[in-house]
Amino acid sequence: MSQNRVDEYRRKLVMAAGGVAAGAAALASGFILREANAGGEAPTRPADQAVTNARRWGMLIDVTRLPDGGAAMVAACKQEHGWGDEGHSSDAQKAHWARVVKVTDKLTQNSFSLPVMCQHCEHPPCVDVCPTGASMRRADGIVQVNKHICIGCRYCMMACPYKARSFVHENLTDQRPYSPRGIGTVESCNMCVHRIDEGRLPACVEAAPDAVVFGDLNDPGSAISQALKAMGGKQIRADLNLNTGVRYHGI
Amino acid sequence: MTSKFLKVFLASALALAALLAGCGKAPAEADLNLATAKQKAAECVEPENVIRTRHMDFLMHQRDATVIEGIRTKQHSLKECINCHVAPAKQDGSPLHYGDKEHFCTTCHAAVGQKIDCFQCHADRPQVGQEPNYQHTIGSAEGHHFAQGVTAATMPTAAEAQMVAQPQPQGAAQ
Repeated sequence: MSQNRVDEYRRKLVMAAGGVAAGAAALASGFILREANAGGEAPTRPADQAVTNARRWGMLIDVTRLPDGGAAMVAACKQEHGWGDEGHSSDAQKAHWARVVKVTDKLTQNSFSLPVMCQHCEHPPCVDVCPTGASMRRADGIVQVNKHICIGCRYCMMACPYKARSFVHENLTDQRPYSPRGIGTVESCNMCVHRIDEGRLPACVEAAPDAVVFGDLNDPGSAISQALKAMGGKQIRADLNLNTGVRYHGI
Repeated sequence: MTSKFLKVFLASALALAALLAGCGKAPAEADLNLATAKQKAAECVEPENVIRTRHMDFLMHQRDATVIEGIRTKQHSLKECINCHVAPAKQDGSPLHYGDKEHFCTTCHAAVGQKIDCFQCHADRPQVGQEPNYQHTIGSAEGHHFAQGVTAATMPTAAEAQMVAQPQPQGAAQ
């Protein structure tokens, strides 16, 4: 599987089945360099200080170590942010912050799955097109929607090459206190920004610590930089030159 | 014919009387369940008159600082307001939402006819399972309020203070 272009793949949306165990513990110890804390590190920043561009958060996902194709990561995201249970929306309308995409080589029928969410581009098309500035890239590289000024026009959904964004079509109640989401706004993976600001790892990284390395792409000594140096790591749609913060190994 | 007219007239008069009575009477404090809030007034993150007149400015400032710059101080955080002031359930045990008159924010906002949009997206009650210290009890160790220092907020103008001290009874009924 050398090709790197999503449009050569047959893509199929697999609705995440909850309760799939990560099951990665049995895998042999791999070549991902890792520091003491599994999954990477997110140093704590004082709550009263603004984020700076000294760090740029990213993650490297080793698809070969995800026997379920990332369904456990998607389930953890769903649980953390409470999306996907919109009662009045059709399946096509329901929120999908992350999804499992199955790709098959038409020639050889070789097939694998990978979790696809916001890729946290350095040059995000969704930010380019937003008419209000709601779609934004935080100084530390996290791409998110400022829902306070989002008008729900959905240009960013059209612009995103990864189909990472979704729109809330209905009134919601009992949202998570740390993850506000509501009718008329666009939403997507925000790399669990509330967790990162506390020095914790994103929920999906915690769900698959053996397959994902999270950390600072700007620091050459960080676990993720070392892992990327050792084994590379591909971007989806690298041809678009977006310099994504989410990288994959094994695709 | 006459009796029918009389009935309609009487019904209208009754309705008008009820309406007038409703207008003249502000919601009783017992109805609004303000005891907890009043008890906590002395421990609020800002002096009572300041928070009453300026809370929307604090929240507006804090929301941009949090979303854009990642500043997550607790003093003017909406989440902490909810944690401190709103009970997770009504007295009968059913979940308390911002549409209910017992909700701390709704008690005033319904009276002044001011719509709140915050809770279309934000949680309108504490999540007990995830936040064990959800309603900071008076004098508890949850000292983050004043520990960070009260900001040098501009004091309310005389007119605003007057408005808060002696709210206009007209239009107060729901």
